[in-house]
Formats: sequence, C-alpha cells, structure tokens
Amino acid sequence: MSSLTGSALDRRSALKLLAAGMAATMARCSRPSEEIVPYVDMPEGLVAGEPMRFATTLTLGGHGRGFVAVAVDGRPVKIEGNARHPFSLGATDIFAEAQVLSLYDPERSGAVAGRGTTWHAFAQAWTRATRDPSGLALFTGRVTSPTTLVQIDALMKRFPGLRRYRSEPIHDDAARAGSRLAFGRVVEALPRWADADAILVLDGDPLGNGPDQLRIARAYSTRRGGKRQRIHVAEPAWTLTGAAADFRIALAPGEVREVARKIANDLGAGLGEPQLSDAARKFATRASAELRAAHGRALVLTGEGQGAELHALCHWMNARLAAPVDAFPSQDPVAGDHVGEMTAFANDLHAGRIRTLLIADANPAYDAPDALHIPAGIAKVPFSAHIGLYVDETAQACTWHLPLSHALESWGDARAPDGTASIVQPLIRPLHQTRTCDEYLAWFATGKPASAHALTRAAWQASDRNWRQMLSDGAVANTAAKPITVSVARVPDLPRAGSGRGLVLRIAPDPSLGDGRHANNAWLQECAKPFTRQVWGNAVQIAPEDAQRLQIADEGTVDVTLDGRTFAAPAVIVPGQAEGVIAVTLGHGRLAAGRIGTAVGARVCGLSFARTLSGAAVAKSADSLPFRSLQAHTRLEGRAEDLFQISGAHEHEPNEPGLDEPPPSILPTPQRGEYAWAMLIDTDACIGCNACVVACQAENNVPVVGPEEVSQGRDMHWLRVDNYALSHNGALRHGFEPVPCMHCELAPCEPVCPVAASVHDHEGLNVQVYNRCIGTRFCEANCPYKVRRFNWFDYSGDQAYAEQGPALEQQHNPDVSARGRGVMEKCNYCLQRVSRARKTAEKESREVADGEMVTACQAACPTRAIHFGNLNDAQSDVSRRRRAPRHYTLLAELNTRPRTTYLKRVFNDGEDT
Amino acid sequence: MTRWIGEGIDSLEEIDARVIAPIVAPRLTWRWWLAFAFSGSLTLLMIGTVTWLFVHGIGIFGNNTTIVWGFPIANYVWWLGIGHAGTLISALLLVTRQKWRGSLNRFAETMTLFAASMAGLFPIFHLGRPYYLYWIVPYPNVQGLWPQWRSALVWDLWAVGTYITFSALFWYAGLIPDLALLRERAKTRLARRIYGVFALGWRGSLKHWEVHTRFYRYMAALAVPLVVSVHSIISLDFAASLEPGWSDTIYPPYFVVGALYSGFAMVVVLAAALRWACSFEPFITVNHFEMIGRVLLMASIIMGVSYASEWLWSWYGGERPERHLVAFLFTGPYAPLYYCQLLFNVVVPQALWFRRVRSNIAAVVIISIVINIGMWLERILIVWATLSRDYLPSAWRIFLPTFWDWALLFGSLGAFMFLFMLFVRVLPALPAHELRKLWIEERGA
Repeated sequence: MSSLTGSALDRRSALKLLAAGMAATMARCSRPSEEIVPYVDMPEGLVAGEPMRFATTLTLGGHGRGFVAVAVDGRPVKIEGNARHPFSLGATDIFAEAQVLSLYDPERSGAVAGRGTTWHAFAQAWTRATRDPSGLALFTGRVTSPTTLVQIDALMKRFPGLRRYRSEPIHDDAARAGSRLAFGRVVEALPRWADADAILVLDGDPLGNGPDQLRIARAYSTRRGGKRQRIHVAEPAWTLTGAAADFRIALAPGEVREVARKIANDLGAGLGEPQLSDAARKFATRASAELRAAHGRALVLTGEGQGAELHALCHWMNARLAAPVDAFPSQDPVAGDHVGEMTAFANDLHAGRIRTLLIADANPAYDAPDALHIPAGIAKVPFSAHIGLYVDETAQACTWHLPLSHALESWGDARAPDGTASIVQPLIRPLHQTRTCDEYLAWFATGKPASAHALTRAAWQASDRNWRQMLSDGAVANTAAKPITVSVARVPDLPRAGSGRGLVLRIAPDPSLGDGRHANNAWLQECAKPFTRQVWGNAVQIAPEDAQRLQIADEGTVDVTLDGRTFAAPAVIVPGQAEGVIAVTLGHGRLAAGRIGTAVGARVCGLSFARTLSGAAVAKSADSLPFRSLQAHTRLEGRAEDLFQISGAHEHEPNEPGLDEPPPSILPTPQRGEYAWAMLIDTDACIGCNACVVACQAENNVPVVGPEEVSQGRDMHWLRVDNYALSHNGALRHGFEPVPCMHCELAPCEPVCPVAASVHDHEGLNVQVYNRCIGTRFCEANCPYKVRRFNWFDYSGDQAYAEQGPALEQQHNPDVSARGRGVMEKCNYCLQRVSRARKTAEKESREVADGEMVTACQAACPTRAIHFGNLNDAQSDVSRRRRAPRHYTLLAELNTRPRTTYLKRVFNDGEDT
Repeated sequence: MTRWIGEGIDSLEEIDARVIAPIVAPRLTWRWWLAFAFSGSLTLLMIGTVTWLFVHGIGIFGNNTTIVWGFPIANYVWWLGIGHAGTLISALLLVTRQKWRGSLNRFAETMTLFAASMAGLFPIFHLGRPYYLYWIVPYPNVQGLWPQWRSALVWDLWAVGTYITFSALFWYAGLIPDLALLRERAKTRLARRIYGVFALGWRGSLKHWEVHTRFYRYMAALAVPLVVSVHSIISLDFAASLEPGWSDTIYPPYFVVGALYSGFAMVVVLAAALRWACSFEPFITVNHFEMIGRVLLMASIIMGVSYASEWLWSWYGGERPERHLVAFLFTGPYAPLYYCQLLFNVVVPQALWFRRVRSNIAAVVIISIVINIGMWLERILIVWATLSRDYLPSAWRIFLPTFWDWALLFGSLGAFMFLFMLFVRVLPALPAHELRKLWIEERGA
C-alpha cells in the first residue's frame, strides 16, 4: 500500500483504504456469523434503529428458561419474556433481565490466563497433561443441556477414566433425598399451583427466585380473581410465599415439622403426638381441615431448609390428598447428590486422585464450605483449567483459566425442570476471544475445534425447517417429559426437633444475587431485597424478641459464630421472624468477583452446605459494617387508607357513587388528547419479586449509584417496590406496592418548575424534559410520592459503578437518552414504547389497540400485576379495572388525580372460604 | 430625653474626623490583620468549595433522594433574612422618625448588600446545572421558551433581584454626601478622583439637600412594603407547595418577622464590632443596644407565637402528615436541633426583659449570636423536617451533612466578614452627615 504521507496516493489506493476502513467498521460488533432466526416478526433486513427480537435461552442453576432478547443494530439491549416457553410465560425475573448487563461487563474474562496467555500454550499444556489420562476429572454445575451432555459423553469415551463431579450451590439435595425416600427414585415434583384450592407451604418458597418461579407466580395470579385459593404458610423467616399467604405463622424449622406431623396425623399417618404451641395448633388445625376439605385440590409443599423426611412426608400427604402435582424424571442425569459430589471432589483432590482437572462454568472455590478446603485442594493439582465468565476464586486457584462466552454470544441449549428444551442462540458475535462450554468440551474430546452452532445442530439432528421453527419459537415442541406415575410406599418417619442449644441459622439463596455468580452485576447488587430493602450487602435477620434478649441494635453489626467459624454482618430486626431463628443470605462476600462484586457483604456459604444449622451464637461485633437500605420505614403510621389498602376476599360492594368524582381544584383541568394513558397496579397480584425494577432499569438506561451513594440516601430506580408491614386481623403481613411515577393529572411537580422542564404531554403523560432541566429539584421536593430521581453526580457517565468503559454504553437502549449530571429524571411510562406503538398504529391508520402498548415493567411482571392502557376507551382493560371495588388511589386526598392507581391487597382469611 | 450621641464629641469637625478615620488614618493593629486573615482564609475556603462543587457536581452535598433540598436553600433564606434587616431598619426608622437610626443605617444597609449577595449566590450553588441559571430569566430565544411563571422560584428571582437593586440604590443615595466629604478629605489624588466621581458633584447646596432629603424619604417609603413583600415571596418557595409543614398561610408574616429578627441580631454583632474596632463609642452607645434589645424581645415573642400557632394548627387541622411532622420535630432525630431552635429563638431572648441585660453590650451581643444560630437552625429544619417526613413513609430518610455543606456555610460567613472589613476601609461605616444633623439637634438647640 502506498504511503499516506507521500503524494503518491492514487485513486486505486484511496479506494483500497476506503474499502479497508468500511470492512473494519463492519467487522466491529457485528451479528454472529452463523445464521440465526428472528422471533415471530421477521424483518426483511436489519433496519437501523429498529429492534429485532430473537428467542433464546438463559439458564438459572442449569435449568433453561426461554426468553426473547431484543437487539438494536446488532447489540442486545433487553431481555423480555417468551410467552411460548412454559417456564417464562412471557415474563422475566431479575436474573434474566440483568444478563444483558453482564454481557457487556468489561471485567468479563476475554483471554486465556494462567501459565500462558495463548490458546497455543494452553493446548500444548493440555496435550502434555493428558498423555497420562488417569486422574482426569471434570467438575460442572447442574447440566441439563442435551448438547453439553453429548460433549461430556464424548469426553468420557475419549478418557474412560474421567471422574465427573456435579455440584450446584443452590442445590436440591433435600428434595432429591426426599423423593428417593418416598418413591425410591429422584423425581422432579412440579405443582400445578392453579389447580389447588388449599395450599400449605411448610418452610418453602415456591414463589421465590428459582427456575420454577415464573410458572408458579403466573398460576398464583390466575387464582387471585374468581374462586380464590387459600394459602397457608409456616416458615421461620419471611419469604415471598409467606408474604403472599392468607395465613402465615412464624415457626422455627423444628416447629414447622410438628405442624407437618399434626396435619399428616389428621391424614392418618400416625406419627405420634405433635408438640405444638397454641398458635401453631390453631394454624395447623385450620390448614389441616381446609386441605382435607379440598381433597383433590389441595397441595402441600416444602423447601430446601427442611430435611428429606419432611419432603417425603409432603409427597405422602400430597398422595393422600390427590394433590395436583406432576412428577417428572429429573433433568439432571447425575445420580449423586450435590453435597456428596462436592465432598467426594474435595476428598479426591486432597487424596491426590485428581491430576488433571477441568472445571466448567462452576466456582467451587467460593461455593464450597471452608471445611472442604477446595482452593488448597485445587492448588495441589498439577494441571487445572477453569472455564468461566470471570477470573473468579476458582480460576485463581487453577493453573489455567479459559474465557467462556456469555449466553447471549453462544449457541447451545438447555432444558427446563419439566424437560422442555430450548435453544440458546447468540445475538452477537463474542465480544472477546471466548468460546462456549460445548466448544471447549468438544475440543477436549476430539482435539479438533468445532463451532457451537455445529455441535448444537448435531445434537438435535433437526431438519432445516424444524430447526428454524425451534429457534423462532424459543421452545422445542414436544420435549416436555410426560409426567410419571409414582407412588409413596410408606409413611416416612419425621424426626423431632432436637433440643439444640443456641440459635437456628437459616441460610437462604439471596433474593437479589441468588448464589452470587452474578455478584459483579451492579443492577442485581442494587436491587433491593424485598423485605429489608437492603442493597449492596447481606444482613443477619433477627427476630425482635431475640434482638432484645441479646441486646442487638437494629442495623448494628454482629458476629455470628457457628462451630468455631465466625462471620460479621449488620443485623436487621425483622418482626414476623420466628424467635430463635436468625436468617442470612448466600451470594455475598465474593473474594474475586470483580470490582463491583468483590467483598460486598458476608460470605456464609463457607459455613456449610446445609440450609438450616443449629447452635449459632450472635454477639455484638466490634466492627461496624454498613447496612444499606433503600427504605428505612415500613410502617404505615396509621395511614393505611392513604397508602396501602386492604380488602377482605368477599368485599364486592361497588365504590360509593360520586366517590370517583374528583374534588374540585383551582388548577385548570388538563384536556384529554386522543389517548389518556393510565397504569393500574394490582397489589394483590404483586409478589414483590423485583423483576419490574430491573426491567425498568434495563429499558430506561437507569444508572446504578453504588454503595457509597446509597449510604447517602440516594438511588436512581424509576420504579421501586415499597414494602409495608401491615396488621391485618391481628397478624403481621407484608404488602408490596410498586411505585412508579403517578403521572398526576394535576401534577404538583409541574407548577413549581421554574423552567417548564416538567410538563404534561397531549396524552396525559407527565414528562420530564431533561435538556430543559436546570436542577432546582423543586419538583421532587413537591412530589408527595417522591418518585423523581436526581443525578447528583454524572451517574451514567463517569461514576465508578455506572460505566466502566465504552462496553457498557452498548447496553443502552438507543431510544432513551442518557441523563447527565444535575438533571432530574423519572418514570415516563416507557414513553419510547408509547411513541413506537402510536407510530405503528398511525402507519396502519388505526388506533393503538388495548394491550398493544406494554411498558417494560408490565412486560416483565410474572403475575401480570401491572396493567396499562387508554382511559379514553371505556372498555379498555385499565378502564374496566379502575371501576372495580378494589380500586384505590395513593394519597387520594391530595387531589393530584394520578393516572397510576392501585387495586387493594386481599387477604382471604375470613372464616369461611 | 435620651441622647444618641455620647459624650466626647465637641464639634461637627470631630464627627467627620472620627467617622472617616478608619479610611484616612486607619489603626492597623495585629488584631485587625488577624481578623482579616481569618476571614480571608474562609473566603478562600468558599472559593475552593465552589470550585470543587462545579467540578464534581452537587452530589458533594449531603442531599439525598428524599431530602433534595439542603444547606444551600437554608443558607439562602438565612442570609436573605439577615439582608432584609438593613434596609428595613434604615427605612422603617426613617419613616417613623426614629433618631437613633443615624448611627446604624449605613452599616446595616451595607450588611444588607453583602448578606443579600451571599444569599443570591446560594441558589446558584444549589442548582444541578448552575450554568443554565439564566433560563429562569425571560429573554428572547429562538425556541420561544419562557420561564414557567407559576413557579415560586421565578417569583423569587424577581423579588431578590428587585430587592438587591433597590437596596443598592437606597444605600448609594444615603452615601452621596459622605462621598463628597471623602472627596475633600482623601489623602491621595486618585482616591479623591474616585470618591469625586461617585459623589456625583455633590456640593452641599440647599437645593441639593432639599432634593436629597425628599428623594431619600420617598425611597424609604417604598422600601418598607418592598421588604415585606420580598420576604413574603421567599416564603412562598415553601408555602406554595403541598408538603406538610410548608403549605401554611402563616409563612409570609412568619418569614418577614424572622428576617427582621435575625437581621437585627446581626446588626447588634456588627455594631459591637465596629464600636470596638473603629472607636465609634460616641456614636454607637449603650442606648442603641438597649433599643435594639427591645426590638429583639418583641420579635422573639412573635416567633414564639408563630411556632405555637404551627403546633396548634397542625393539631387542629387534624391531618396526619401535619401532626406527624410536629411529633417528629419533638421526638425525631432532629429533636435536639429543634429544642436548640426554641431555646435560642424564644427562651434565651426573654432575658432582654431586664434593663440590666439590655444595657450590657456583651450580653446583648451573645444573645444576638445565639439568635442567629437559632434562626439558622429554624431554616435548616424547615427544609429538613418536612422533606424527611412527608407523605409516603417508604421514602422517609434523614439528612447527613457533609464537609462541603459546612465549608460553604462557614465560607460564606468568612466572605461576608471579609467584604465588611474591606467596606470599613473604603467607605464611611457611619453616615457623617446624619450624625452631624443629629448632633446639632441634640446639642445645638
């Protein structure tokens, strides 16, 4: 090529340079090279700025759930639900929503690391290490992917002596052991929640985070109207299921078993006299009677905090009640239990039986209890390779680290708990030099590189036509397993609660971080836990009685000691927690998660695999650790009628005539345009899962502020889920109230703005003109709902927790402007979506149909608690629901006439059903 | 009859000489330099804080999502309150023909100018995007955008703008004869030139005096309602909202009296300092302090009644947020500050009932400082308490001030002091011509 500095740049050279430049531009961040198939609406070509939707699969603990990823100009920017996948049903959860941020995480590993930095170096080392294939081992988490299982099989064929270990930090060992105890085999028991009229949950959390959450939550919401089901929950610490219950009692895990004993005895188990307190007896008697009355439509569930015996007893009770539960063969082909596999892995490590180790997408160095000394064990292995998204704790212990592609960059597949398979299809070519797990395993097995696309296609053997269908549907038809018939042989025995000393420690998956693998995701770190509203850390939850007895102050730091091991964390006093129980969540205290997730909160997975431990001691700590919360007050302060209304199940009296007439105002009534958008939130359906909060964050480029700013009392969420402690019929309850902008017709923020940055648009939206805002903050001062958020710093620009590089900007929704420093922002009902819906309708010369315009929070909601529509249409979903007796307005007496209104929470705890 | 000019003044010339002595023959003691250095370094702190503020954004303050207003707003109202006293004292006492104003009006008006300037800066520091402050001003622009006239902040701009303009004119009008005096007495040619230009050719003719007196009285008559209206409008920043504890009709009179109160208290402090530093004992007498003590006492009683009426109406109104707010003030985390406010503004000044206290300059100065602290607490609590406890309990938070909050507050105090010390060196702190007139009335008759 001729020199640019010389005068010899002729026409040909110029064209060459131009072409090279164009090629370089196009090569950057392009769509994947293999053909991928768009979901439903297939555009003829990529239209710049137009979102394209692709069905894909994201896993949670190895279980696949189908979602739709939205890409704009080749960049994935949002995850939405996939209505065709039975474990999404069109909804998402926080983990799925947050994946789009993890994709662009600049700290994701992008290169080979360890004893060399090139593929070549690794390949040579691998070849040397496998000359003697004895002592070769593979460690994975739960694998349900048919393609990956094919690769593992191939690897085992290639290396017959391969030891394989599988252990998942959020395991289901109790359920597995329970089903073995009851049925003699491991089955996946999935409740048909919607078919149950009476449900008893004994220390479980089916509505909480997990692969089955979206399915159960949808079933839950379908039973909130019409003939309501009754939900009884006995649990030691608050769960989303406990908050959703009609009757809830706080009992220590041992007492929960006594409740189970009583109810099982009523069903004819003959397990001996239960030892129950009066309150527990009353609860058990009522639950027992209602379960038996609802024979065939009654359901008993438990959770991992309880042992195998209670799981088995629940299977027995469900069998006696002819409960709507389907048993599926487990999608996890490994026979061993998770704890046992991890222990065997540790033993083999320390015994030197493992000489060459592959760890695929798992982090045992963090997940395993300290007593197993996994990092030290791995360090003994001469050749160990970690395949993962991050250079995490395990990668640091290994001799090699291989970068893993993110799910949104990968081909692959996964199965849902019932066996439904779905394809993982990439939306973008890998951002870094990464490969998928299948590609690595295939290479290990064959020594030849293979593309994940080819491996996945080979595993499915589908015709082109079927393949395209699989891709566009996002769920492979007819792959759900047939429910199997199982029978319970005998009544399992139920151990009595030991007279344990000390407190019972309950360890639960974190509501925001799960097992902590996504700890470097700032959206999840800043997603408030439902009850404590804590962010950036975990806390020891303690009952008020215990706190008083042990003289522990709310938000004071405590040391928890168990079997000689100690961790420090802030304590938070939680009314409604069982006395004698302290609860803490997993997923925190990562040692090598990245700049965001490292050393946030306390690591408790080092204590034990068990979810319930006795003999814990709590004492005031000399340390002072911050408790960061987005909501300091959960009491209603005697203002339930203004803030959060509760209704009985049988209140059907219509609102008094004239009550809907707003009181007069001196302010001019705004004229209604063609549309009058309104939102309606059903607090009765809301389970407090936070999916809407993270969905809003992803859709609207809402920045993260970081722990220091939260300590200052700052946050940026446009939508928050307020949690109120309610007193209903003498019992303590929790009510979740998602609060977006109210879009008041007589908005208090508008008259106070000196520069008219807060204005009404012609469709009744209260909009904020960022470019006009000068930052007086009078609007937020005058907002009775406090829904406006201010950019105290350049949160979306140069802050440590927002943009760590140009990579994260790619996540931004191009339809939403990023807000600069000194500007007020707030919920705008996804104005960009309103605008898109209006334009689409206008192009087709029609009105926007009811249900056509869906906000991001509404789309994410697994219980369909959020409704949105046009008030000018009297028959729209929102208009009809606003006429319901349960309808109420937040702070109605202020006469702000909000467009966002609510439906009352219902507790079906009357004496007759 | 009370004499307002003390013993030791034997001639008109002596009045002139003593009044302009700090300018033409200053005694630059080490104390003066120390005070100058102290205020100068606080001024530098303020400049540094503002630089840091503009570089990093207003996140350096302690404001949070719920309590979006903080120190800048409280400081603004506090400084403006102090600023209101000067013009009010000067004009009100002139209109009501109180002779004792003669010793106070010049430096009180100067205090107004400097305090209002400090106040005027704080809304700028408060803004998220201070460089767009001019968008509040109606100016022709291609987008055809105007301010949003219903906002109390726009009214504020006009109120404060009017007030500062008017105060400067009123101050300057009273200064003209004294500038002429300095034109005659200044030592250097340059100083004589400068004073001469600003003296506007004042020759002291009868015609001049006749026009000046009339003009000055008309200005004073305008000033009194203006001052009342300006601070009433400032109060609408709070009152024209729907927040509990803010949207009260008592706010305008409550703010005006509060302004007068804190302003008089600041006048006491400055008067004592001037008296001591510039040997103005003959002009600023114990009688002056005694008189101001009475005004402070009256104002403290009105403040007490205002506080009590807030409690009464929040109880009688029966609205839970309002009632809760009062309970929060007495029992919440800000309660110590609130008790201090009540003690400083209502209880301590009751000592002024006693003539012995009023006649003790040190006692009156201490009470005045306490009142100024109490009034600042009142302003910050107006901002904090309401925003900390408004309608939704889920949003309740507490304000945690940062270093920069305090730095800007004390920096502004230092800058005020610095400006005042400069003023004393270049312009007569007392109106020589008025004192001459007073002396003739008292002695010459």
